[in-house]
Amino acid sequence: MSDKIGIYVCECGPNIASKVDIERIVAEISALEDMKDIELVVKPYKLLCSVAGKAYLEEEIKANNLTHLVCAACSPRDHDSTFKEVCKKAGLNPYMYKIVNIREQCAWIISDKEEATDKAIQYIHSGIDRVLYQEPLIEKQLESNPDVLVIGGGIAGMESALNLAGKNRRVFLVERAEELGGKTVHFKKLLPRQGITASSIQNKISEVNKNPFIKVFTSTELDKIVGFLGNFEIILKNNQSGEETELLAGAVVLANGSKEADPLDFQGNEYTQDDEVYTALEIEKMYNETGKITLKNGEIPNSVALVHCIGRKEVGYCSKICCNYLVKIADYLKEQSEKTEITDLYDDICVPDKEDQEYYEKVMTQVESVRIINSRVEGNKLHYTEISGKESVLKPDMIILASALLPSEENVHFADILNIDQHESGFFLESHIKIKPVSTNTDGVFVVGSTRGACGISDAVLQAQAAAGNILTQLIPGQKIVPEVMVSEILEAYCTGCQTCLEVCVFGAIYFDEERGISVVNEAICRGCGTCVGSCPSGSIRTRHFTNPQIYQEVKEALRKC
Amino acid sequence: MDPKETVLVIGSGIAGMEASLMLSKAGKKVYLVEKLPLIGGNVIKTGESFPNMECSTCLVAPIQQEILQDKNIEVLTVSNVQSVGGEAGNFDVTILKKARYVNISACLGCGMCYPVCPVSQPNNWEQGLIEKKAIYVECAGSLPNVPVIDSKLCLRLNGTEECNLCTEACMFAAIDFSEQDELIEIKAGAIIAATGFDTIDATEIEQLGYGKYPGVFTAYELERLLASNGPTEGKLRLRDGETKPETAAIIHCTGRDLVGYCSNVCCSYAARHAHFMKEKLPEIKIYDIYTDLCLPDKHYQKLNTEIRKTKSTYIYQSEPDKLNIEEINGKLKINYLDNQGTTSGLEVDMVILTTAIKPASGMPEIADILGINLDKYGFLQTQEGSIGSICTNRSGIYAVGCAEGPKDIPSSVVQSSAAVAQVMNLLES
Repeated sequence: MSDKIGIYVCECGPNIASKVDIERIVAEISALEDMKDIELVVKPYKLLCSVAGKAYLEEEIKANNLTHLVCAACSPRDHDSTFKEVCKKAGLNPYMYKIVNIREQCAWIISDKEEATDKAIQYIHSGIDRVLYQEPLIEKQLESNPDVLVIGGGIAGMESALNLAGKNRRVFLVERAEELGGKTVHFKKLLPRQGITASSIQNKISEVNKNPFIKVFTSTELDKIVGFLGNFEIILKNNQSGEETELLAGAVVLANGSKEADPLDFQGNEYTQDDEVYTALEIEKMYNETGKITLKNGEIPNSVALVHCIGRKEVGYCSKICCNYLVKIADYLKEQSEKTEITDLYDDICVPDKEDQEYYEKVMTQVESVRIINSRVEGNKLHYTEISGKESVLKPDMIILASALLPSEENVHFADILNIDQHESGFFLESHIKIKPVSTNTDGVFVVGSTRGACGISDAVLQAQAAAGNILTQLIPGQKIVPEVMVSEILEAYCTGCQTCLEVCVFGAIYFDEERGISVVNEAICRGCGTCVGSCPSGSIRTRHFTNPQIYQEVKEALRKC
Repeated sequence: MDPKETVLVIGSGIAGMEASLMLSKAGKKVYLVEKLPLIGGNVIKTGESFPNMECSTCLVAPIQQEILQDKNIEVLTVSNVQSVGGEAGNFDVTILKKARYVNISACLGCGMCYPVCPVSQPNNWEQGLIEKKAIYVECAGSLPNVPVIDSKLCLRLNGTEECNLCTEACMFAAIDFSEQDELIEIKAGAIIAATGFDTIDATEIEQLGYGKYPGVFTAYELERLLASNGPTEGKLRLRDGETKPETAAIIHCTGRDLVGYCSNVCCSYAARHAHFMKEKLPEIKIYDIYTDLCLPDKHYQKLNTEIRKTKSTYIYQSEPDKLNIEEINGKLKINYLDNQGTTSGLEVDMVILTTAIKPASGMPEIADILGINLDKYGFLQTQEGSIGSICTNRSGIYAVGCAEGPKDIPSSVVQSSAAVAQVMNLLES
């Protein structure tokens, strides 16, 4: 069948018609037929996106047996998908069509009608040249596995598992320690405004253990993983027996937590285990295990200094939860003995949830608050500079330090095998800071809880549910997934096997075929960003629908008069 | 329609839009109800968003377009939920869809109708900085790009029959005065309340001089002055529309004591404000007057540090409630207690108040209609005694985004995605 291109010029009511010369466009574009020696159908229409307009276009495609379609209309943002749908209905492959924007880019911005018309003609001409080089693309459907691998058996991991597991979806919950629970099992009380005690964590653990659709692997680590959304192949390894388990899953939730920094790494702090200096987590554990906060001699301290923001400047971020948990510790101390004198040395107070401030203010009435700009622990002594610039020293019975939360050391390993990016802090990077907060740059891999960035329990739980929300709506049991078709392909004959493309691909979509000595694109992972195309020294990669000839043809004509 | 396959989302801000799109992708029918004539919520008022200084329109417009083109999502603008009966899995919902008087499928958004309208009114969406007509879109780029007629002010709708100017200007016969308010009854299996927030009225804090001195602005007024589709097309000018401010001070925590909580986002957007004020007017001298910096995300402190190095001088004030502003010879003088506890003064041309976030107006009515509780601040109350919950006291109804309390965009999206998980599980059971 020979090529026959339909060019339909939308008048958009008066929006285009009153600002460009439609008649001249039709005449000049029709004249290209002879020049290019191809068959053209060129027609104006008053409003292509209207119901009547779409029906008209569908009928025109069928009646004229069009092989290509160009719609000279508005911004693709408005109606690209509208006309693609029309193509599909009319039996024309939608990748054989192109929208040309003669409204926003011509009619609306050029006051001189002739000039606007010239530009519109040039754009349509360039659209025709491009569409002639376009190729039909066919969408493929892939089977997908609805099961989910959750890494980390802390509060976030457990919450994700509980929200995901069901009769049509199994969850594999992997915890490298011997027990589920993560850090929260060390807490006697969660912040009182949350109204629950550690027992609810135990309830959650038993809920997970009882759930028939959750398989728990303790003392186990993720050894290998390959694949993509809907199809991950996984090998788990027991860190005691060395036993390996092979699994298949469709998505991964990473909830491997964070750790408390050692205060000795920061601010010139110097003390030993003999000094009465503790981190907040040590105090939590002590209070949880003994029901008391005591000095090494077993006595209740008469005076305690709470110090905020240890390491904040060094790590470069606020750990978000410290102001709140120091209030909780002050509350524990006052509950234990009203006589304990507490000095709270703070930098900025960060209490960002709606009920935090009230709790802070309530507890802090019983505490001496001092605004400082720096502090240093030396043995049992605390040196600090007040906001006024005054240097002071305090020697309380006990010093409690709110040390920064650090990313887990395993993150480098996870970043590597899951192909996800880390933020400069070492926490994981979301695929979009604002609108994709628990997604990563690998589709189907989600990060939740404090491995995504310092956060409290409420946030961790909500993020865990959010990842579940994403998976429940993306991986529906029995439903196939349709990967992007405008993806890269590597021309075997030209590939020299230099592997530059592997390095630049942020999605991990390219692998190296050792046997053939060439790079290969995994079409299920590729998103068609084109980075590899630009990086390839031998020019052997092309992105479908954005090939060099297609772009050259379009640009050549668009710039012809420049 | 099977109620198990249908979800009602109230509020079309970022939280409501994200939840709607996720549910639609899973094949659910979504009714997205928005009280205003445009979707997008408060995010679209900001020219850019922190911490990446990304253009908000570029971020949100594709999401808005996707919503409007999604066949599973029925967007009901200028609409309110009137009543909610039934129970989780099977709610009976009545929605009042008010007449827009402009046919949404016939209108192309060409904008010929509003210049000819003889009636003007303040544009509250633009923070009252400019006026709009009785037939209007709130700003350039409103989506859906279809005007609405204010039935209280339109001459024709109020008996002045002869006015036909907008109808004459419209070449698509889209103006339809016969349109009536409509009651729509639907069944829904679950409801997500994403009704957003307002900010406090800055005149409530008299000592700051807002409303009295023209040089004092709220943060949202500044947002609109910085936005390219705002009243000054992105030019930073004082209220006369001409004078460039040479000095400006951003006052943090405005109204924090009044509302009793931290609004979570102000410290970060203040950094963005300083960045863009400096970009618009490189000669401007900017000060930030603060007490505590709240930067609760791995990205935020770095932004603050950078801004402090290059864009703004940060001044610590020890007692925010002692700060007051007076006007002396056309200059604003800010009196505050410094780090020594002594009174200091700072003279500037422009003051920006980071007004606290408060529950959206009409929140008690919404809570009443939905049969759910408000917390002591007036935000939607989520279940007590459970951690990180977005469940309200009425099963099947979830509270997300700033309707639940002040938060940044990622936290709002986290909540709305969390609600989607609850909805999917509820409707499957």
